[in-house]
Amino acid sequence: MVVGIICLGYVSIKLGKIEVWGRPGYEVFAIFSDTGGLRNGAPVVVAGVEVGRVERISLEDYEARVLLQINPGLEIHDDAIVSIKTSGLIGEKFIQISAGAADELIKPGGRIRQTESSVDIMALISKYAFGNL
Amino acid sequence: MTTSNKQAILPLLFLVLGAPALALAGEPTDQIKQTTDQLLAIVQTPSLQGPEKEIERKKKMRSVVDERFDWGAMARSAVGKFWHNFSEAQRTEFTKLFSDLVEKTYMTEVDSYSGEKILYKGDKVDGQYGVVESVVVTLKGTDVPVSYRVLKKRAAWLVYDINIEGVSLVNNYRSQIGSILNSSTYDKLISRIKAKIEAKPSESATEKKQGTATKKTKEETL
Repeated sequence: MVVGIICLGYVSIKLGKIEVWGRPGYEVFAIFSDTGGLRNGAPVVVAGVEVGRVERISLEDYEARVLLQINPGLEIHDDAIVSIKTSGLIGEKFIQISAGAADELIKPGGRIRQTESSVDIMALISKYAFGNL
Repeated sequence: MTTSNKQAILPLLFLVLGAPALALAGEPTDQIKQTTDQLLAIVQTPSLQGPEKEIERKKKMRSVVDERFDWGAMARSAVGKFWHNFSEAQRTEFTKLFSDLVEKTYMTEVDSYSGEKILYKGDKVDGQYGVVESVVVTLKGTDVPVSYRVLKKRAAWLVYDINIEGVSLVNNYRSQIGSILNSSTYDKLISRIKAKIEAKPSESATEKKQGTATKKTKEETL
């Protein structure tokens, strides 16, 4: 019985990717004009490799403030650009960081200034398919 | 006009006249607007009209743009992590070519200006960094959001990235340059940029008329 409960707990933590003790690493944030429905826990990738998660999304001055949890050891340059991407046409949203080359690094708790908001693919397709007015 | 009509219009008039004062334009907006106005003045100068004056016109435009753009920061950012592998001479050569490329792509757009409205939506300043939001209203009435990322150097706010319809210019080049440098050499990258600069600009003019964001992105490919 006890073993069963422990196993169940372990499985739900593993499958649900629930963080019991918090993740190691550090946090940075970025401001977007539109997240396009990005969710907490969405992956953060560099060159397609997962390097962290979306920790928290909140509204600040009618813009989205997205807090990112970054794995320890990953340096983010000051001119890095964060974009909200969609996997496939209608897939889940995720965060992509394109590495920069500036000498300064973003400190823990700091802000990545350059952002690209979610591009509305459906709007682009309809623009293309039906033409502009 | 009846008196009641006049009474209704009066507050409206105040609203319209008062609007520019309410939208407090900051220093970054002023400087971006100044540069844009200078460019449009050059494009519309009667003595500089016509294809035969193109070289003179573009030269004047270039000098205005050079004062406002931080080409060094832009080029470094567009190359990304590969920048550290570049020699000093390569960095200088690349920065020059990159500025020519951006100039060519964007000056062609400005050069074909035909009375589109440019609205400034204000700016946000965070220390030495700022963002200037503007909207270009095309002749068809479509809004194209354009935001300038600026960095303060002494008294001047210099542009280090332009975001058009949510797509960053620097990031667009960064991903393309990155994939070229990943599979190829510096020399190959330089020759591709040179080829792009020397290509005929006629393509972009027709694409502008189509006015779709997808085509615009296509135009900016190396």
